[in-house]
Amino acid sequence: MTSSLSTRLDATFKGVELGSGDDDRLAVSIPREAVVPVLTFLKEEGYDYLQLISCVDWIDRGEFELVYLLSFYTEDEVGGDGGKQDVLLKTTVPREQASAPTAIGVFAIAEPHEREIHELYGIHFEGHPRLTPLLLDRDYEIPPFRKDFDTKQYVADVFDRVPPVEEEG
Amino acid sequence: MRELELYFGPQHLGMVGNFSITLNVEGDRILKATANPGYLHRGFEKLMEGRTWIKNFPMVCRINVVEPDHMEMVYAMGVEKLAGIEVPERAQFVRSIYLELARVGSHLFGLWAYANMLGFDTVANWAMYHRDLVLDLFEELTGGRVYHIYIWPGGVRRDFPEGFTDRMVETLHSIGGCVPDYDSTFFNNTLFSERAKGIGVVSREEAVAMGGTGQAIRATGMKYDVRKVDPYAAYDKVAWEVHTREDADAYSRIWIVRDEMIESVHMIFNLIDAMPEGEVYNRIPNPLKWRIPAGETYVRCESSRGELGLYLVSDGGEKPYRVHFRTPSYSHGLTILEKALVGANIADVGNIMISLYVVAPEIDR
Repeated sequence: MTSSLSTRLDATFKGVELGSGDDDRLAVSIPREAVVPVLTFLKEEGYDYLQLISCVDWIDRGEFELVYLLSFYTEDEVGGDGGKQDVLLKTTVPREQASAPTAIGVFAIAEPHEREIHELYGIHFEGHPRLTPLLLDRDYEIPPFRKDFDTKQYVADVFDRVPPVEEEG
Repeated sequence: MRELELYFGPQHLGMVGNFSITLNVEGDRILKATANPGYLHRGFEKLMEGRTWIKNFPMVCRINVVEPDHMEMVYAMGVEKLAGIEVPERAQFVRSIYLELARVGSHLFGLWAYANMLGFDTVANWAMYHRDLVLDLFEELTGGRVYHIYIWPGGVRRDFPEGFTDRMVETLHSIGGCVPDYDSTFFNNTLFSERAKGIGVVSREEAVAMGGTGQAIRATGMKYDVRKVDPYAAYDKVAWEVHTREDADAYSRIWIVRDEMIESVHMIFNLIDAMPEGEVYNRIPNPLKWRIPAGETYVRCESSRGELGLYLVSDGGEKPYRVHFRTPSYSHGLTILEKALVGANIADVGNIMISLYVVAPEIDR
């Protein structure tokens, strides 16, 4: 089942790289443009559950890695569906002018995940209808979850500037 | 009728936790709901990147105030998987018992919130008292009442003290003896069914599309439980049932909470009987200089609210490179709640929110 899934992915899309993954998860790297078609393909293959969209800032390589974790709803015990593996889908986005296509059209749950990544990493999702702040209420020069955002320096800059309370009398 | 904008929370009697919803209402009917999380965003995932693997344990449990134990578990599972550490069999059983105890405590807290919100103060007080008895057990076992930091990579911190299982069984029996009281005052009470039946319906299609897990998906009749589909700890070593309901409303979800509590207690008894002797801890390298091989992993467990996942990346260093929690309240409190509130009455906002088991700190992290 899964070996044929990786073969079919390879045959259908250009630029698919199969990673090693681990025992129960197939790792697949794809170019940024292929995210929506590959997600649609996997959804048709029965991967109807988008567990998480995550983002990793690989600052040394100058790129972000967007990670889509896909699984499926099942009622079967232990492993489900005859050992069908979950999928870890990866794509890279350059750190400068970072943008990626939105996955809302395929999975509704992508909405808050992409909003969060937009806010914390500054990646623009093309076609996302609601890229408004989700968690934070201040503006940041550098989105705060990027590796070059210095938390300690930020705290010193913001809170050390608060004037001390003057003592009475 | 004129459309008005109404702020529901963070200061509101029907709101549990630091969370707010902006409602667009026409009369008493909700046209649109916008969830506003972030009141409790502490940036834990970023802070964890600056601490060693072991120093993050006191941190992860604080992500969810109501059930810190599953947070410890999922982080320990991630670290163990990246570092390739085995857990002794007895420790697997101890972990399962500990997590089921945590589930009972968390469900009692949830029942407190729900009953309180519907005006069942007596039931709420009972639930809070019984949760306190569970916390007494945790205090004896770990030294802490709310945050326990009991699960470590390689096992658990210490074995059960002498006579602990007897005291645990006794406490659980005394809580279980009150189930008929809970049933007659709350679960079989017409006031509860009138308020909860047909309220906040989330169909299976909607729940699947919006990443629903836990009670949200089991109330639609689907037997989806991570403890069954992807077993961890000792959940595949004893027999137990996944409880479902068909109606997908608040009534079904709260009944599932009740059934799960009883199932957890039975499971604890079975686990105690099947628990082998042996070590509860495998030695790990010096935790202060511990480097974990580069790699990435996604691990998951079933918290009392649904699937709790962790995406963990190591670059081979002494600290995690990226930590990202997939919390059940994230999908329940943001996408599903916004959908389920449309068309509801203002009086049912708290009802729907608590029946979906939304806990704000878990969303914000």
